Amino acid sequence: MGEIVDTGELIQGTLEMLILKALVRGPLHGYSVAEWIQQTSQQMLKVEEGALYPALHRMELRGLLKSKWGISENNRKAKFYDLTAEGRRRLDAESQRWARLSSAVAFVMQAS
Amino acid sequence: MAQNLHEFSLRVKTLFRKRRMDREMADELAFHQAMLKDKLMRQGVAREDADAAARRSFGNASRWHERLRELWQFRGLENLGRDVSFSLRVLRKSPGFTGVALLTLALGVGANTTVFSMINGLLLRPLAVPESGRLAVLGTDSGDPRIVYSFSAPFFRGLERRREVFSQVFAFAHHDMQVRGSSGTQSISGQLVSGDFFNSLETPPLLGRTLTPLDDSKGGNPSGFGVVISEEFWQRWFNRSSNVIGQKIQIDNIIFSVVGVMPKRFIGADPLERPDIFAPLALEPLLDGAHNATDAGIHAGWLTVMGRMKPGVTLEQANAQVAAGTSAVIHSLAVDPSDLARLSKRQMHFTAENGSAGFTYVRMMFSKPLGAVFAMCGGILLLACMNLASLLMARGAARQPELATRLALGATRRRLIQQLLVESLLIALMGTAAGLAVAPAVSKSLTLMLLGGEGEVHVDTSLDIRVFGFAALASVVASLLVGLVPALQATSSSLNEQIKSGQHTTQAQERRRVLPKVMMAGEVALALMLVVGAGLLASSLVRLYLSGTGFDAKGLENISLRLDRRPLQGEALIEFYQRLEDGLRRQPGVTGVSYARIVPFTHDVWDEDLFVGAGKVQDVYFNSVSPDYFKTMRIPLFDGRDFAWSDTTATGLKIILNQAAVKLLFPDRNPLGQFVSKQEGKKTVQYQVVGVVGDAKYEDLRSPAPAGAYLPMTQDDGSQGPSYNAVLRTNGPAGPLADAARSLVMSMDAEIPAPVMTPMSLTIDESLSAERTMAMLAVFFAACALVVTAVGLYGTLAYATARRTSEIGIRMALGARRSQVVRMVFLQNAAVAVTGTAVGLIAALLASRALASFLYGTSTRDPWVFAGSIFALALIASAASLLPALRSARIDPMAAIRCE
Repeated sequence: MGEIVDTGELIQGTLEMLILKALVRGPLHGYSVAEWIQQTSQQMLKVEEGALYPALHRMELRGLLKSKWGISENNRKAKFYDLTAEGRRRLDAESQRWARLSSAVAFVMQAS
Repeated sequence: MAQNLHEFSLRVKTLFRKRRMDREMADELAFHQAMLKDKLMRQGVAREDADAAARRSFGNASRWHERLRELWQFRGLENLGRDVSFSLRVLRKSPGFTGVALLTLALGVGANTTVFSMINGLLLRPLAVPESGRLAVLGTDSGDPRIVYSFSAPFFRGLERRREVFSQVFAFAHHDMQVRGSSGTQSISGQLVSGDFFNSLETPPLLGRTLTPLDDSKGGNPSGFGVVISEEFWQRWFNRSSNVIGQKIQIDNIIFSVVGVMPKRFIGADPLERPDIFAPLALEPLLDGAHNATDAGIHAGWLTVMGRMKPGVTLEQANAQVAAGTSAVIHSLAVDPSDLARLSKRQMHFTAENGSAGFTYVRMMFSKPLGAVFAMCGGILLLACMNLASLLMARGAARQPELATRLALGATRRRLIQQLLVESLLIALMGTAAGLAVAPAVSKSLTLMLLGGEGEVHVDTSLDIRVFGFAALASVVASLLVGLVPALQATSSSLNEQIKSGQHTTQAQERRRVLPKVMMAGEVALALMLVVGAGLLASSLVRLYLSGTGFDAKGLENISLRLDRRPLQGEALIEFYQRLEDGLRRQPGVTGVSYARIVPFTHDVWDEDLFVGAGKVQDVYFNSVSPDYFKTMRIPLFDGRDFAWSDTTATGLKIILNQAAVKLLFPDRNPLGQFVSKQEGKKTVQYQVVGVVGDAKYEDLRSPAPAGAYLPMTQDDGSQGPSYNAVLRTNGPAGPLADAARSLVMSMDAEIPAPVMTPMSLTIDESLSAERTMAMLAVFFAACALVVTAVGLYGTLAYATARRTSEIGIRMALGARRSQVVRMVFLQNAAVAVTGTAVGLIAALLASRALASFLYGTSTRDPWVFAGSIFALALIASAASLLPALRSARIDPMAAIRCE
């Protein structure tokens, strides 16, 4: 394992963006969200449970996510999160903002 | 916005499903843990190790759980609940502080609410009739500073016909009805009302019908005279009998039949009266006999006139209309051309003003003193608030270590201020509740004091929405005043410093704090103002009493006799009075008996224009008296003789003048045997002066004794009716005498209403009731102010000293003598008190001018009052400061230092 970046250290709001992104292909429970982020980032980003669940609940309260209890792939009762329309809109906005921000940062860093 | 709404509704839902939410959160976290464990086991970790690893990786589950729960809660609401219970605990822990705070605030809020509910009852509360906002009170503006609200019958009848802006115009007048009952004649409080009175007030009767314009037609309703009675009278007199309609009652020897009963809530249009009988206005000549007000035409103003405005008409329009219609009304009157010319010459016009609260004369009399009392009340409330604030500030200083600890444990400054505010709000709420609880009883007794205990006047001072609103406002303002500044102060300094260093490092800073000192000085200043005001009013009242009446009021009793309905006159009447006098003289304790038409200070006035020969006409106040009147009253007879029963009309008209009248009419010669004249229509009546007596005050105590003249009752021409007052001097108890007088009158003539005996001293007190009440209230408020200030000075100093215990200990250990310590602590407050007194003195000098119109013979800068007030304040402040100072001297240096 290389360098592990705790999502808690990421710029505020980034975790939410990652969660939104994780859910774009369909409902997931909290564990899979964390797993997906960790795997997709090639183990670079580790999502702390202590940050994940408050973020999920906060987003649910704000209407970005909705939740439903269902059965997990290994037959356990689990809480599944899904994007709301508001959440999708937010994801689009956040992706654009992120793209602009990262390219701007890249420009700055590449300057000689 | 939509997001907030979403959040809010979710939180509300959570509020009701707390259990389920908790379980779900636990489930969710457990699931996550289980998944972690599965993953580890898949990677080949042993079961028990996987368990531990999952737990380790997951961290403290209950902490996450707690964080999630917090997310879903209304943080503010639940914090508030916690603050309230915490504040209650804190307050309970310091019962001394809480008690003082509650008492102070209850006093302030209670006093304000009391006075406000009186103002409410007198001035603000609308009449309990439909659409009272459309009622207007009419008046006459003759260019005098005061608008006159009494109308004569012709003016009213002229106004009654004008319907441009009013759907009805109506009039009423108080009238005591002599009602013949099974046990003799009783005097029942009633009103004479015009035909549209009931139509305007729009209250349906409980039984029967109300009076109509037909009842109020000249000569009365041809099918019989009708009266409407109150529910109360119906109960008392007819025992709620359902066939009361049509029953006959005899009022002033005239037979009326009851046509209707009004419900209890209907009190007419004078909020202070509770009339039991309403009789038609047009029947006044029948009821009042020869000396009635109706026939006196435009010379008698006795009616209160109100109107109900047509829907959509504003008060301004109504006012403009009645003013414009004035001359039309005057010219429609059937009066003498000379009177008409005189009326037209006067620049008078009618006015209309808001009548939603009805009309009462008392309102005019008391609105000014009530306003002054209200201002004093406001002062007390402000004082109470300042006092509490400085107490809280001192307490906040003492609590700084506690606050610092709480800050260090993670509370935000906002949360601390919120909790401190909750504390003061609690005090305010409880104080207000206590104040409200006592307010009705106090305002009731205040009303009795203010308006005299005659039982004729009813002020509804009960609590209503307005009073509650006022109290709530006072309380909230008070708690903000009380709480905010100290809370900000207490949390302002660097609290972490505090925790580290305990008492010492902040000492210097502590002493530099000026705000509490400014507050205390302000309090002293305010208290001085209140004490000065009270002193001025009280000394003015004392001067009024000492100013003398011209007679000896002690031991004087007046018995008012009402013979208006009796067919007695001339010699028969005199004979009746002589027989009564003999009877009264035989009563134990009675040392003198005589009669007088007018009792001083009852606001009855009889004045005439007198002149001597071709000399100037002088206005002289008259009275008609029996022999022995001067002896009974102890008015000195300087020259000549008293009247005698033998001074009949046949022996020539006699008159006795007082010295003031002699000075006016006979400035340069002896008046005895001379004649004074009075113009009566075309003829001149002459009176021979037989005596000169001392001056006595007549209408009120404030004005000096006017020029006065006395006529013998034996020469009374009967033009003012047969009723006199018996004037008795007694050295015995009043109760048995009143009973004896009553049975004596009954035995002589059962038709005469039971006479009422009033001590002269009571009459004087009542004539001064406004002054007395103001002075008493002012003294009461000043005493409260002194107590409150003393508590404040004591409390703040005691706190400050307690915090300096170890410093004082060190000083003493280093050789400071106890007297030095006492002086040091004492002088701390002395500076505050002296500054406050200086400021208060200047403010009082400026503000006391507002009292000028209430003062009699007292300058608004009376040096004695000012000196006395300063002395009183100095005394109180010293006492309040000495106690903590003495206590600080008892500090044991060793113990004080060791305890740090």
